[in-house]
Amino acid sequence: MFSKRNSILLVAFLMVATLLAGCGANNSKPGNSGEASPSPTQTQTQTETPANTASPEPSQTGGEVNIYTARHYDVDQELYDRFTKQTGITVNVVEGKAPELIERIKREGSSTPADLFITVDGGILNSAKAEDVLQPIVSGVVDEQVPAELRDKESQWIGLSTRARVIVYAKDRVDPAQLSTYEDLAEDKWKGKVLVRSATNLYNQSMLASFIAIMGEKEAEAWAAGIAANLAREPEGGDRDQAKAIVAGVGDVGIMNTYYVGQLAASQDAEEVKVAEQIGVFFPNQQTTGTHINISGAGLIKHSKNKDNAVKLLEFLTGAEAQSKISQANFEFPVNGQAELPELLKSWGEFKIQNVDFAKYGELNPKAVEIANKVGWK
Amino acid sequence: MKITLLPRSAGRHVNGWTMTSVIGAAVVLLPILYVLACLFRPPNDNWSKVKQFLLTDYVLGSAKLVFFTGFFAAFIGVALAWLIAGYTFPLRNFFKWALVLPLAVPPYIAAYTYSSMTGYTGIIQATLRNRFDVALPPGTIEVMSDRGAIFILTLFLFPYIFMMTRVFLERQSASFIENARLLGHKPISVFFRVVLPLSRPAVMAGVMLVVFEVLSDYGVANYFGVQTVSTAIFQTWFGMYDVDSAMKMAAWLMIGVIGLFMIERWLRRSKRYASTTSRSHPLRPQRLKGLAAWGAAAFCTVIFLLAFAIPIAQLAAWSIQYGGKIWRSDFADLIANTIKGAGIGTAIILLIAIVSSRAARMFDSPFMQALSRMMSAGYSVPGAIVAIGVLAIFIELDGRLAPLYRAMGKDDGALVLSLSLAMLLTGYVIRFMATGYGALEAGYEKMPRVYSEASRTLGRSSLFTFLRVELPLIKGSLLSGFVLTFVEIIKELPLTLLLRPFNYDTLSTRAYQYATDERVFDAALPSLLLVMIGLVSVLILLRPERR
Amino acid sequence: MAYVAVEQITFRFSGRQPAVIDKLSFTVTRGEIVGVLGASGSGKSTLLRLIAGLEMPESGSISVDGRLLTNERVFLEPEQRGVGMVFQDYALFPNMTVADNIVFGLHKLKRSMRLLRLEQMMELVQMKEYAKRYPHELSGGQQQRVALARALAPQPSVLLMDEPFSSLDAHLKASIRSELRQILQKANITCLLVSHDQADIEAICDRVLRIQEYGRENEFEEIAVG
Repeated sequence: MFSKRNSILLVAFLMVATLLAGCGANNSKPGNSGEASPSPTQTQTQTETPANTASPEPSQTGGEVNIYTARHYDVDQELYDRFTKQTGITVNVVEGKAPELIERIKREGSSTPADLFITVDGGILNSAKAEDVLQPIVSGVVDEQVPAELRDKESQWIGLSTRARVIVYAKDRVDPAQLSTYEDLAEDKWKGKVLVRSATNLYNQSMLASFIAIMGEKEAEAWAAGIAANLAREPEGGDRDQAKAIVAGVGDVGIMNTYYVGQLAASQDAEEVKVAEQIGVFFPNQQTTGTHINISGAGLIKHSKNKDNAVKLLEFLTGAEAQSKISQANFEFPVNGQAELPELLKSWGEFKIQNVDFAKYGELNPKAVEIANKVGWK
Repeated sequence: MKITLLPRSAGRHVNGWTMTSVIGAAVVLLPILYVLACLFRPPNDNWSKVKQFLLTDYVLGSAKLVFFTGFFAAFIGVALAWLIAGYTFPLRNFFKWALVLPLAVPPYIAAYTYSSMTGYTGIIQATLRNRFDVALPPGTIEVMSDRGAIFILTLFLFPYIFMMTRVFLERQSASFIENARLLGHKPISVFFRVVLPLSRPAVMAGVMLVVFEVLSDYGVANYFGVQTVSTAIFQTWFGMYDVDSAMKMAAWLMIGVIGLFMIERWLRRSKRYASTTSRSHPLRPQRLKGLAAWGAAAFCTVIFLLAFAIPIAQLAAWSIQYGGKIWRSDFADLIANTIKGAGIGTAIILLIAIVSSRAARMFDSPFMQALSRMMSAGYSVPGAIVAIGVLAIFIELDGRLAPLYRAMGKDDGALVLSLSLAMLLTGYVIRFMATGYGALEAGYEKMPRVYSEASRTLGRSSLFTFLRVELPLIKGSLLSGFVLTFVEIIKELPLTLLLRPFNYDTLSTRAYQYATDERVFDAALPSLLLVMIGLVSVLILLRPERR
Repeated sequence: MAYVAVEQITFRFSGRQPAVIDKLSFTVTRGEIVGVLGASGSGKSTLLRLIAGLEMPESGSISVDGRLLTNERVFLEPEQRGVGMVFQDYALFPNMTVADNIVFGLHKLKRSMRLLRLEQMMELVQMKEYAKRYPHELSGGQQQRVALARALAPQPSVLLMDEPFSSLDAHLKASIRSELRQILQKANITCLLVSHDQADIEAICDRVLRIQEYGRENEFEEIAVG
């Protein structure tokens, strides 16, 4: 049953398959520049390398800027569209998970089409820097709009917004006077009453990393062990789910990000609004080390081909107008002091923040994961 | 046989066509081999920590999830298949196709939907609280747990087993089952003594698909906080920033799965139940009466409600309520991208699947078997790991093709292939080869060889035989392979996230965009559209059967 | 003179198993109808498959009408051999009508010739009124006649029949046997027919090759029948 014809057939099919794959590749370009671009303002999108000038259909006069982003907010896209309208610079976007995007940039090396890397979490921003895929952002405008403590030391990345990780509590069961610090939540008196999501989540890892930086590895491990022992239930769900669990009576106190409280309060779902009304927000460690915050930021890619456009976009995104919009839509804290805060954020007032270099989040993240695994915080 | 052939064949095919075909297959295999190659890299410091803190718990977690999901899915799948193939009862004809529909729902979306529905602010508790002033004690409905993950994965994966078993029972088992009935066996006894052992190959094939889906699942396990090998891989990557150790783990997972494949194959080899003569007649279902009939209908209804109607109704309700807020003009593009990517990907997969399943049948050697198994191995590995393999190979390829690009007038170091849809499509092909290949392999196994042989002795070439005799006979398998693969690709997320070109959004990535930010309501509309596209393709699959 | 010459043919399914056919030789003269008799597993079907080119022998040679089909260096593919075969359960293509099945092997003829040949074949097996039927709409005996017509249509140099009666009802056998003999004689074809039933073979064949019970050596007794 060994036949020449069979083999020829086999090879022929493989070749057809390969060809087809190739055609798919070729088709994808016109397809993407025409039908597949996400919004009308981007009809000129080119998926080929930005520097490709041989293209028969040149981009708009403004050129373009390519973003790899791990931020998934509608407001981001709105701001990009607005930027394009103002400057004529096309914004091309690939969304993904941050570590995967870094891996992609790394592997693409000097050929990478990416100009900006945008993500949430200082640890990740630092790891992008540590992987040597970023370069300093040189812009007087940005320096003016973003305070130095919300920028990388070498300005390889800059903050776009911040969020605080705070204690929330059941208004009917907990007197805020009982609350003081994160450390306090690890004490015996909260046994079976603490709610926090899984330690596999980045927000918790960064928080734990910041504690390692402040109190040292041993203390931080003891704290994590205390939290793990005090949990009202096995960690599950996201931050919002902790708030709901508090209202449902599963536990009394929880740890969550501020902007989720804002989103619950602004939800179109009446039940979620009720949840937001029944929980209180407490900014811990005000007398001591300050409340843990995390940062959302953008880094300029080392091998960026559209550096000027990228910097322009950063200047735009950190401008007062864009910053107000981010804060209004997402309940994040703006980095630009000129920006206007939504009412809810205003009501929380000023608070003392942790004084930890965001770079530490990245450096200590593996240690944090190790500790969480060790103490059994799932 | 092979050895004795060599001199004769070597003489006749000096050019080594088979070598070429092996190289062709290797292109598909390269990214998989790239991941496997990680096994041979020296372990770094993290690896020992990973082994110490992660591996045992997480392997046990995976084993538990696989075992229970596999067991319950097999139970539900086979029971439903037997009810529908063996009996008539109210609504049977509806359930015959409706029970396949859960396949169109991505499990992670089902997970979000169920946890929101059953959560404190979800419709169940909210209604009880507001209308009846009943507050459920916390933890009464607990979806977010190991049990919840098993529940979700079982409900949305059992149709694989249901589908394969039902088709098998209807077509292959009639004479055995009728004999058992004639010999006076009670229905229960017929089921356990005849139906179950008889349909083992079909059940196992379905169970294997379920097992692979469970092993590679990240969405559900991560959301519900279940510790599995997949979540361990991502924790190592995302938490410890250690891609190498993550890939190493994935490689071990892949080895385990290829092993599982081989064992299953070997177990099946020793017992060949499937009869492949052209003489079997379809099974004639018996009519159920009274309580039994309503019982059967009720069982089907419960499963259908849980695995499809309820979550879809909830998604629809959310879409209507919140859809306006997130509606953007690009939804048409999302739909177009979703269908285009899945369509092209599926077509390539089926082409390769046809060639390799035919080759495996013609050259029935252990080598071909191993090759085809490896081509299917991508199914069991988390998509993101496959993606890394593909990314590495494509960037390497772009490097190699640099002179060509220069000749075409592009800049130095331009990336062409890895910025095109080709990269994503390759990812799809590697990840979902198994569904396409599985369907065609089954099609070829069902088709007696004599048809091809008769054609050859009538003076027809192998190619003509393939086109005119084999293709019409495996048409059904081809169609079901197409639909299964198509639906899989529509649902796919991690590969699409990492390998897509600029500005390429699909319904799946849009749903993810909202869901990952805990905006389940906003994720409803893209999710619903996704399910609808899957639904339409499943209906196409079932249309010829309903005639 | 030997029309079909099988010399020293050896075959095994895989390297480690004993040979199913071991150094077998025999000849058939032109126009002869020869029966091959033996228990199941004795390798008689394999013998037909070797001649048809569906299996490849380990050693030995086969030639028909002076044309070498296979030896240690040569192996003609089945479609190049011009050998007709009727399979055990007929292998009629289920997706084609009776007429399409019969015409299937006539691709080398012109269209007009093809229709003529179809006509002749339908006449020969007396299935004219069934041309538009599908195989599953036919009885076992009718299916057999279509399979026979399909195999004979391209005018093969030799016809191989594998257990032609095994899937037929016993009470039909007698009439179908004589019918088959008539058809074969009318077609004037050299035929090798495999069966496990001596009565079948005695009713149809000129000569019998008796294949020994599954053994190392295959011995063929030649028994002349009346």
